[in-house]
Amino acid sequence: MTLSEVTSISGEAGNFEVEVLKKPRYVDMNKCIACGACVEKCPKKVDNDYNAGLNKRKAIYVEYDQAVPLKFAIDAENCIKLTKGKCGLCEKTCPTGAINYDDKPETVKLNVGSVVLAPGFKAFDPSVFDTYQYTKFPNVVTALEFERLLSASGPTLGHLVKQSKDHEEPKKVAFFQCIGSRDINRCDNGYCSSVCCMYAIKEAVIAKEHSGGDLDCAIFYMDMRTHGKDFERYYEKAKDDGVRFVRSRVHTINPVPETNDLEVRYVDDQGKIQTEVFNMIVLSVGLEIDGSTIELAKTLNIELTPGNFAQTGTFTPVQTSRKGIVASGAFLGPRDIPQSMVDASAAAGVAGEGLAPVRGTMLKEVQTTPERDVFGEAPRIGVFVCHCGINIGGVVDVPSVAEYAKTLPFVEYTADNMFSCSQDTQDKMTQIIKEQNLNRIVVAACTPKTHEPLFQETLMAAGLNKYMFEMVNIRNQDSWVHKESPEKATEKAMDLVRMGVAKVALQNPLAEAQLQVGQTAMIVGGGLSGMAAAETLALQGYETHIIEKSDRLGGNALKLYKTPKGEVIGDKVAELVESINSNDKIKVHLNTTIENVDGFVGNFKARLKENGEEAFLDHGIAVMATGGKAYTPDEYMYGNDPRVLTTLEMDEKMKSDDSLVKDADCAVFIQCVGSREPERPYCSRVCCTHSVDNALELKRRKPDMNVFILYRDIRTYGEKEYLYKEARDAGVIFVRYDLENKPKVSVDNGNLKIVVKDHVLNRDLEIEPDVISLATAIVPNTVNDLAQFYKLPMNDDGFFIEAHAKLGPSEFATDGVFLAGIAHYPKPIEEAIAQGKAAASRAITLLARKEIFTSGQVAKVDPVLCSSCGICVNVCPYSAPSFKTEGPFAGKAEINPVLCKGCGLCVASCRSGAIHHNGFDNDQIFSQIFAVNA
Amino acid sequence: MSEYEPKIVSFLCNWCSYGAADLAGVSRFQYPDNFRVIRIPCTGRMSPKFFLSALREGADAVWVSG
Amino acid sequence: MEFVGLEEDRLHFSWISSAEAVKFADVAKQVAEKVKVLGPNKKFVKRYPTKDTE
Repeated sequence: MTLSEVTSISGEAGNFEVEVLKKPRYVDMNKCIACGACVEKCPKKVDNDYNAGLNKRKAIYVEYDQAVPLKFAIDAENCIKLTKGKCGLCEKTCPTGAINYDDKPETVKLNVGSVVLAPGFKAFDPSVFDTYQYTKFPNVVTALEFERLLSASGPTLGHLVKQSKDHEEPKKVAFFQCIGSRDINRCDNGYCSSVCCMYAIKEAVIAKEHSGGDLDCAIFYMDMRTHGKDFERYYEKAKDDGVRFVRSRVHTINPVPETNDLEVRYVDDQGKIQTEVFNMIVLSVGLEIDGSTIELAKTLNIELTPGNFAQTGTFTPVQTSRKGIVASGAFLGPRDIPQSMVDASAAAGVAGEGLAPVRGTMLKEVQTTPERDVFGEAPRIGVFVCHCGINIGGVVDVPSVAEYAKTLPFVEYTADNMFSCSQDTQDKMTQIIKEQNLNRIVVAACTPKTHEPLFQETLMAAGLNKYMFEMVNIRNQDSWVHKESPEKATEKAMDLVRMGVAKVALQNPLAEAQLQVGQTAMIVGGGLSGMAAAETLALQGYETHIIEKSDRLGGNALKLYKTPKGEVIGDKVAELVESINSNDKIKVHLNTTIENVDGFVGNFKARLKENGEEAFLDHGIAVMATGGKAYTPDEYMYGNDPRVLTTLEMDEKMKSDDSLVKDADCAVFIQCVGSREPERPYCSRVCCTHSVDNALELKRRKPDMNVFILYRDIRTYGEKEYLYKEARDAGVIFVRYDLENKPKVSVDNGNLKIVVKDHVLNRDLEIEPDVISLATAIVPNTVNDLAQFYKLPMNDDGFFIEAHAKLGPSEFATDGVFLAGIAHYPKPIEEAIAQGKAAASRAITLLARKEIFTSGQVAKVDPVLCSSCGICVNVCPYSAPSFKTEGPFAGKAEINPVLCKGCGLCVASCRSGAIHHNGFDNDQIFSQIFAVNA
Repeated sequence: MSEYEPKIVSFLCNWCSYGAADLAGVSRFQYPDNFRVIRIPCTGRMSPKFFLSALREGADAVWVSG
Repeated sequence: MEFVGLEEDRLHFSWISSAEAVKFADVAKQVAEKVKVLGPNKKFVKRYPTKDTE
């Protein structure tokens, strides 16, 4: 439901009534074929929001080319017909009669059990700041505008130019961080927007790439916050590539007279005032919640945080204050794509927990036609050539192409259709296939990427195997791109049809492998993320096994003291463990290790060693929640003096109110111990918040205690930033140090002594603390054997590599295996729990299908020709080929059709020509090559 | 006398360049009409035999794009 | 290519993501230009095209 707004939600979890206002689109979605003819005729130009207003679109439009659904809409505020009653050009132009100016808003009532809120954020509007003069100078742009300028699909096609009238390429670009973030003087957003440091670095790097490297990019920042997975490496690489990082907040911009350039004034590290001239200034604007979302939250009676984000608990990270309503994405706090993906899956998982009993009760059974056996029949090919209104027919001579197709071998029937995709034409085609007894079909029309599945359904309805089909692209790749030469386009269409006919003639019916998915889940690791995953899986009705190598559940959380929100972690963990133990769907295997795993998605078999005894566990899916541990430092006198603690040890002492902490008058926290070092070039993400929170706790317990935090960059991202401010207000002293000038810890007359260079005073500072807390890095547990069993990749730091860094953070490229918690990357409790739930939710999408059909277009080994060289086994990214261990062809390769993604890498690599590629076999590709020339 | 118009066989990866070619159509970017596209599932499918064969069969050039 | 006696410009490789329509059209233009400069392929051709390619 697009163009729709929720106006109210009444009722309670399990039985909500939702009122939705559906606004008019003025275009019938069933008729619109997204040909774009209306856009060409529409006379009204409007600022294009998608390109941040940098160019124009029409009043009838689709937001961007890949929009889903790809259907046009009329912008009622700007349409001349709808505002003034005149025009009506789009109605006249539309070849399918999809325009409906009388479309009216309607109210729809939905009865649902759970609600997911994903309203997103809006970018901060910097026009309120007179200091940066965003509205006054064209070359001061927001990061979002800059992003569109760099985009290949943007207003300048990715060519970076100044926004002043000269439109010259800039030579120097400055980025200002924290615009509308970490600022309560000029706006109310006290939080950190989390994503801007990283996107500024990315934009600077890409701008340099686009401009050939001579471009000077300087990023002015307060703390560089690259706390995401592999972000620190990207930051270091950007420095190597010449992006300049200046630690300063710029206060003034002045125009340089007679030019479009801008002079900035700032105070450098040494306290000196500097001035520098730039051609362009990019404002790294923060994220904030839109006013309409705040209204919605009020209507729905949902509590918000001080930053207007949804209020949640650390142990219930997607649950809003109203039961049955969960949230995801930036509404939970400023966040990047991977974190939003994690939340989205977690929200779906939690929303599904309450709905498990009714799963599948509202499905409709699909009618199927039995497949006709065409084995042994000579090819009888039907060719349908589509006009697509005037989209193809206006350029290509469609009737001639259809006529020409008749002359091709095995073609028994040809026709030209006005719109092949319309329902009546589909029915007609089904009829013709049956009447003419056709066994292979070619449709020459738009692109298979959007329409192949539709025509395959037509084939199935006519009782043909859906692979007995070839689509020839004569619109997107012909008529639309050769408008000026209709004759050549017609010739090309004929060539392409000939190639398609040649290929389809060699096509055989393909079977899709069917596979039962074992309905049991195995979770490796009984820490927070593992338990969270188990909880969601069990609540959704699946038998779940937790494999834990130690003698108790809880993992690292057992050592922690409390959350920044004040929740006592020990109590919360105990509650969770209790709910796990009392759930009869969950079986916990303590003191258990995994010795071996065989099988593949849906059918894994693990050999376990449980309390020394061998046991076997069949499982359909597996979740890796193997966690990590604190790095053991070898510096700052750790291990040589009992007053030097790690963060986890500090938590223990604070929990027990140990005299070491209680009697201390001075405490020092040292950050980045083992993190962001050459041998461990990543940020451990949680340590800044943890130390700041502990420092605050010390101040609360003993306000006159001297508390120092020695840091490199404070990374209290999101609303954790409030803690940082609170700590400064409470008198915690923050001293920054460099990697080149690390603090020195020594013992002098039995007293601890730290020497650190203070940047503000530019001289050494001596502290004599009673206790030192080292914020140690988080390192992953060693799980090489597991990685090998399931064929999972790991990065240089030992963390697992997910299926996709942005879009698939909680799953692996290997089907049926999922990922959660610190095994993915260091993360705080709420993120570990969210990812546990996300992994469970991703797994459920597989489990709920009970059986999976794989594509028919997979590779297949001819064992007679196979020379057992093993190349296919090595090259396959999905581990589909393996050697047969038994039967007549033992030792030869075989390909598991379930794991095969049909990429064809093995087919091309096979030295013996033993691998066939169903649907793209060598003879088919050769037949197309042979048919290129008539 | 018409200008020489070569025939170029292009092997396009279904997920990358084939999609870009479709999008070029949506955006109505005009480009030369010399290409005859063969859709392949992935450039990994590409074998030297294919382009040699294409040239042997009279194509003037081959363009492989992932 | 050179080994079998074919001109280098008869074979082109490129990497284009599915969103890069502009790049696709640009590369297509470049490839077509380069091949036009070479003239018709005569080497190794088993079967001359029947269509006029002068």
